[in-house]
Amino acid sequence: MADVVVAGVDVWKVYGSGDTQVAALQGVNLEVRRGEMVAVMGSSGCGKTTFLNCFSGLDEIDKGTVTLEGVDIHAMSDNAKSDYRARRTGFVFQSYNLLPVLTAVENVEMPLLISGSKPKLARSTASAMLTDLGLGERLTHLPSQLSGGQQQRVSLARALVARPAIVWADEPTGNLDEEGSRQVTALLRELNQKHGQTILIVTHDPEVARGCDRTLRMRDGRFAD
Amino acid sequence: MDAVSFLLLIVLAVVLFSAVLVWRHRMVFRISVRNLRRGRTRTLLVILGLLIGTAIISGSLVIGDTIDQVSVHFAYESFGYVDEALYNQSAVGTGYSPFSYAVYPALVNATSSNSQIAGITPEVVASVGMYDRSTQIPQTNLNLVGANANQSGALGSFVADNGSHLAGPSAGGVYLDDLSASDVAGRVGDSVVVSGASRLTLTVQAIVKDSDRGGFLGGESVFVSLATAQTIQNDSGRLNFLAVTNAGSVTGGLALTNSVSTYLNATLPTLGPIAHGVTVHPLLQESVNAAAAGGSSFETLLLVLGLFSIVAGVMLIVGIFVTLAEERKGEMGMLRAIGLKRRELVYSYYFEGLFYAAGSAFAGALLGVGIGYGLIYAFSTILSSNAQQQAAILDSFTISPTSLSIAFAIGFLLTLATIVGASFRAGRLNIVRAIRSVPEPPPSIRVYSYLAYLGAVFVLLGALLLVGTYRGNSDISLPTIGGILVIAGGMFIATRFVRNRIAFTAGSLSLLVWVGFEPLRRVVLGTQHTGTIFVIFVEGISLVLAAVMLYIFNASTVVAGVSRLLRSRPGAVSIARIGLSYPSRRPFRTAINLTIFALVLFTIVSVASFGSSVEANLNQTIEAESGGYTLFGFSDQPIANLPGAIAANHSLSGFYSNVVPLDSAGVGVAWSGLSGTWSDSIYAAPANVSGPTDFYTSNEFNFSSTLHGASTGAVWQQLRTDPTAAVVDGDYGSSSGGFGPSHPLLSTGTVLTLTNGSGITRNVTVIGILAETFVTGIWVDPSTGNSLGANQPDVFFLRVAPGQDPVRASQLTKSAFFAEGLVLLSFADILRTSIQATVAIINLLQVFVGLGLAVGIAAIGLVAFRAVVERRSEIGMLRAIGFRQRGIFAVFLLEYSYVALLGILIGTALAILLIYNATIASTSGSTGGLSLAFAPPWLDIGIVLLSAYVLMAAAVLTPSLKAARLAPAEALRYSE
Repeated sequence: MADVVVAGVDVWKVYGSGDTQVAALQGVNLEVRRGEMVAVMGSSGCGKTTFLNCFSGLDEIDKGTVTLEGVDIHAMSDNAKSDYRARRTGFVFQSYNLLPVLTAVENVEMPLLISGSKPKLARSTASAMLTDLGLGERLTHLPSQLSGGQQQRVSLARALVARPAIVWADEPTGNLDEEGSRQVTALLRELNQKHGQTILIVTHDPEVARGCDRTLRMRDGRFAD
Repeated sequence: MDAVSFLLLIVLAVVLFSAVLVWRHRMVFRISVRNLRRGRTRTLLVILGLLIGTAIISGSLVIGDTIDQVSVHFAYESFGYVDEALYNQSAVGTGYSPFSYAVYPALVNATSSNSQIAGITPEVVASVGMYDRSTQIPQTNLNLVGANANQSGALGSFVADNGSHLAGPSAGGVYLDDLSASDVAGRVGDSVVVSGASRLTLTVQAIVKDSDRGGFLGGESVFVSLATAQTIQNDSGRLNFLAVTNAGSVTGGLALTNSVSTYLNATLPTLGPIAHGVTVHPLLQESVNAAAAGGSSFETLLLVLGLFSIVAGVMLIVGIFVTLAEERKGEMGMLRAIGLKRRELVYSYYFEGLFYAAGSAFAGALLGVGIGYGLIYAFSTILSSNAQQQAAILDSFTISPTSLSIAFAIGFLLTLATIVGASFRAGRLNIVRAIRSVPEPPPSIRVYSYLAYLGAVFVLLGALLLVGTYRGNSDISLPTIGGILVIAGGMFIATRFVRNRIAFTAGSLSLLVWVGFEPLRRVVLGTQHTGTIFVIFVEGISLVLAAVMLYIFNASTVVAGVSRLLRSRPGAVSIARIGLSYPSRRPFRTAINLTIFALVLFTIVSVASFGSSVEANLNQTIEAESGGYTLFGFSDQPIANLPGAIAANHSLSGFYSNVVPLDSAGVGVAWSGLSGTWSDSIYAAPANVSGPTDFYTSNEFNFSSTLHGASTGAVWQQLRTDPTAAVVDGDYGSSSGGFGPSHPLLSTGTVLTLTNGSGITRNVTVIGILAETFVTGIWVDPSTGNSLGANQPDVFFLRVAPGQDPVRASQLTKSAFFAEGLVLLSFADILRTSIQATVAIINLLQVFVGLGLAVGIAAIGLVAFRAVVERRSEIGMLRAIGFRQRGIFAVFLLEYSYVALLGILIGTALAILLIYNATIASTSGSTGGLSLAFAPPWLDIGIVLLSAYVLMAAAVLTPSLKAARLAPAEALRYSE
């Protein structure tokens, strides 16, 4: 059990009430071990993104428990959850969600600054990370000056720069072409192997899933056996 | 066609044009209506933001109308049923010259067939003193009005304080109006001594109201029978005033003034020599016209100050529409992609804008009425000396349909014109970039070429204006605008060849130096230019825009500096990084908000500092105007040796350290270049005085200019002995007004021809122009004065000894010399009173210009609300990577605080600079006669700044909290 980083027991998430009530998660159970790279697949509306939000602590659950590194994430206060996310998790989203007014390096150093790193150290760490990802020439570019693939690499760098224990990725290749998609998947895998981080990827892309250690299929708010 | 009809015609044309467009583009119209309905809260906020400009216009016009009405009201109160007056006023005298009583029956007889004349009343009108024996209080300089009850029916009746109507006093009696009764604490039954050419003891028969008949000549009057007045003036059998009443009501009779005046002018010569010198004066008409002009001036002042808020309002409209365009960029791109034409996109904004413009103009015009009433109420409370006046001001509150129509039309057209401009900008989007939300690329080189051509036109126009007006006494705003155009033109041309940052930084710095560095402009433009209130608008707008431009093109440097300050606080760096990046990397929105805040604060702080500078200069003004004396006096009868008489009076002697007599006389003044003759007084020290009682050696008056730059002492020394020399008051040297009436201008070296009532003439050369304007006239040497009839002392300067009470000294001295009709005026009291009124008005103006703050608050609030929607997914991302709720709140608060504080800083600094410049200009008399001392009211400014910041913080509190409380998953899910 010591190796289990993400654990969920009978997790329920219900939206709406009365006739419009929809159970997006219906008693989900899950265990993910440290260093695992897991893909979650399923059709649109099956609850993949809800799973990611609820298990990462971004959204509340209605029933069950979710423990991250042995700690019940939903028993934490909002501030404690924020601090946990800042220190121990990273996120990658389909639409990159970079701050448009910050340059590439400023976006990447943001998690470090939130965790209280010294600005100089944060800057050098972020620059090194972007250089590793082949963006050394684009450090001071604004997101609007980067291609989609470059933006997603910046987004990846931001998710990984603070060396989080868990990385949550929601359709990270959804906006990319085949080549971009392959690059991002390879990068995730490389970082996973290099730093031993646990990575959970919600995706539609079988290529991405093929690159993972394990693929879970979701249907109607449950993982299929 | 008048202005209102023209404006309404334009509105009608716009409405018809819009109706045709709506009919032809019904689908686009439906989109606009849906846009309005889908964001009702936003629609309401937009209208609230837009209506301020109209409200300011409407409020200014309503206040102008009301002040017109108040002034006219008091004009009617003062003259009642006296429409025209017939009197003889010689060129060199100030009073009414008596003429034969026979003129009255002759005139009545000659005009009996004219149905427009309701009546003619024979009167004696003079200035007298009064001493109440019961209360033992004297008062001088009161109006004496003598008329018989049985001959003055056309003038209406007196109204006693108890409400009864009275025809007039009987022989041996006197009516006091409320003001004169208050002066001497008089009551019915008191025995009073009225002192004119002779003294008469009378009994107070009634205290009457200061309205209609009792308000004649503006109050402080005593009313007696005609025979009593003739006795007091030693003019038995003579009159000096015939009051003519037109047919109709008090107000209705005014319409007949021109006709009646023409008729009387034609009739007077037929009366023969008895009416020689008697002329017709349309008193009520002149007074009403002057009142209306006064109201109009105030309206202009309010409108010019309101212009800042109106410009801020225009910026807000631009900001709102740019925000709307950004918000709908994606859907606009989609509409274009499925075939909507570019102009139809513009129409969709135009239709939406029509609702905003009409709604805000309507609501703004009505809100302006409320604002107007609030300010009028404040005026009535502060400026009225009694409840009656206050009630009269409030009763005069006027809402004219004309003013409301003008406010609505201007507000509607101004809003719509700005919306049309903003709509064209929004319509110029690129479809792909709009759909993919890709930022617009920088302008092409062609755009900079066009800008350079525009710049060349600016430079040419500016140079022409500058060259044509840079010297002389034209309005200083003309050469200032010329310089601004040259600099702006140069800046536009430079953008074609160098980086924008360099061109705009150099241009804005040049503008700041040209408009803000007063010594430079004084060197280039000289000191002879005149100025109107419009100068403040030109300078204010230029300075604020230049400062905002300077910031916008150097924002990254400033932000880097501010961020460095926050580095020492762990955790603050990430908040500062995001909070400060939005204002520095979204320059257009930031410029709009910054300009709005800076303009509003500039106006408020300018007005506050102006009032404070006027107040602070009081002591300096008293010193300059008083020549070191405490009291200025004049008497009806000459007082042969006032210094000696006071020295011999044990109860008075201790009060004074110096008493200086002057002989005076009325003269006609002419000089080469002056059309006609100017009436004024001459003053000369009596020949037999010396030492401290000699005016020439003991006064401390200074000169604004002297012939050949002679020293003050040398000028007074020359005047003492040179019969060809003269010194004139300060109003002769400057057109900027002052305490005296407006004078024709002259310079040192001008040769004046002085002619007295007997036709004796003397030529004198002006060797000095005094700085003071309180005592108006011409000072000459004793022999010249004597030859022109100034040979008896009736004007006095008195210096109260240190530690003595000037009020008590004045009261006792007036009592002692009551028989001679001695009037004493305190320099300090009069100057303080005049300045208090100015300061009270300035304080109210602060409230008026403070309304502009609503524009700033609306702007920030709207942008903040919009930002929460626009940045939802960014907020979600920040929360995902570990930002706490309070971190998000801090980001928003920091961002808007930074913009607001920067705007506040720019506006305040520039306002203080403007006032500093004004204090420099005031030394050359370029501030409308007001002397200023640089003394910004730091406490008041601090309160204003704090209030502005707190209001801003309140406006962004709700959106900031909303942003902070967004659930991360919900925020990430959101897409517009």
